[in-house]
Amino acid sequence: MSIDNLVLVKAADEFDDGDHELVDVDGVEVGVVRADGEFYAFRNQCPHDGGPVCKGPVSQKLVGEFVEPGERVEKKFVDEMIISCPWHGWSFDLETGENVADDSIILPSYDVVVDDGVVYVDDGN
Amino acid sequence: MIDAAEHRIIDCDWHYQDSFEEIAEYMDDPWRTQYKRSNWGDSGVKQNLSSFFPTSTGDRQAYGKVVREHSNYPDEPETPDRIREGMEYLDIDASLQISHLALAMGGVQTDDERTQAFAKGHIRYMLEEVLDPDDGVYGLVPLPYSDVDSSLEILEMVEDEEAIRGGCFVTAGANPPLGNRKYDPIYERLEDMGLPIVYHTGGSGLDDYVRAGYEEMIETHTLGFLESNMSQLVSVTCRGVPEKFPDLDIVFMESGVTYVPGLISRLEEEYLKRPEEAPLLEKRPSEYITDYYFGTQPLEVSASPRLLELCFDMLGTDRLLYASDYPHWDFDSPSTITDLPFLSDDDRKRILSGNAAEVFGL
Repeated sequence: MSIDNLVLVKAADEFDDGDHELVDVDGVEVGVVRADGEFYAFRNQCPHDGGPVCKGPVSQKLVGEFVEPGERVEKKFVDEMIISCPWHGWSFDLETGENVADDSIILPSYDVVVDDGVVYVDDGN
Repeated sequence: MIDAAEHRIIDCDWHYQDSFEEIAEYMDDPWRTQYKRSNWGDSGVKQNLSSFFPTSTGDRQAYGKVVREHSNYPDEPETPDRIREGMEYLDIDASLQISHLALAMGGVQTDDERTQAFAKGHIRYMLEEVLDPDDGVYGLVPLPYSDVDSSLEILEMVEDEEAIRGGCFVTAGANPPLGNRKYDPIYERLEDMGLPIVYHTGGSGLDDYVRAGYEEMIETHTLGFLESNMSQLVSVTCRGVPEKFPDLDIVFMESGVTYVPGLISRLEEEYLKRPEEAPLLEKRPSEYITDYYFGTQPLEVSASPRLLELCFDMLGTDRLLYASDYPHWDFDSPSTITDLPFLSDDDRKRILSGNAAEVFGL
């Protein structure tokens, strides 16, 4: 890791869970999001229609399980976190950037570095 | 006490048995001509009065356009020989018989025991009198899905019957729609028996789809079948029937093919925005729906060949099943498939028999 590759975001303690901060990374708008104490960074442009995906709500993923014929599908929130574009609701797994509906659609992600209480985005160079 | 014969009596409610033939003479054109052509004749109250004042637009014989035998529903009951005649006429080697009367079951919205009684009687009759695998005459068993227990009893009745090649839901009246968990035991049983489920809508209730007030059959016949199939297709897929019962073959009949790509495209857009509302799906809806089978009738043969080819490509020529709907008024003969310019002969054979042989075990 070289400090030259890092783009300053802001102090880690200025984030609450669900907060986001936008930064410019080599001309690309990148959103840094905190969820469950962890930081994630994605291109702030939804693959669907270009919406500001990183400004959307962060939540636990809702899944359903088929228990047995005739019974209701059991729905529950799981540990995986997702972020949902505020424009149309396209949702992405925070760990992988994969679209929840179709994992062949990937929201480009960036590495986040927290150093000495400060959050940076690695520009990948 | 008075003697009625000696007093003046006024009857305030008498019904004159008027006939269409007589009244038509006194009507203005175009109705005068249209009604005289409709073959409603002098049968008066024997006819379904709804054909006069259109509480239903579903009369296939209206206005005398289609005059071949069986263009409407004949007064005389079917006989097994007529199946052979029809098969000979259409060059068909094996057929799957679906009850004509059961199509009206789709309009039953109540917990009506008659649908169950009918379905049981129908299948006993068909097994005893009509179906004949040695002669290529097979059948689908109508399932009165509003009563799951009865449906299971009926499946029990036909379990070892070679002549029965699937279960049939008349989809129009299914409330809740057929993806609901209520119907799971029927799907589970069919899957165990290795029989496909065939969704086939019916004419009853077409006038009430979505809104009332349509005026002619061209409107309701266009919309009714589509709406019914589309609603069940969406329900069955979104509720995850193919995930719950992965070995169950799913077949949709009688709405042509062009509606499916449009519906898939619409559903995909919704799914990408709201996947958590169809939580059993492990892949896009299109990937399930293109695993279903679709009867081709009534095929949109006058559509652009480019559109039809696209639809065939999207659904897959390994998933399309020739169906005649004979003897109903808008039947398709095998030439609807053999004449399609964009199909290879192998594809034609698949659609005309190969796919059906596989899905129905024929």
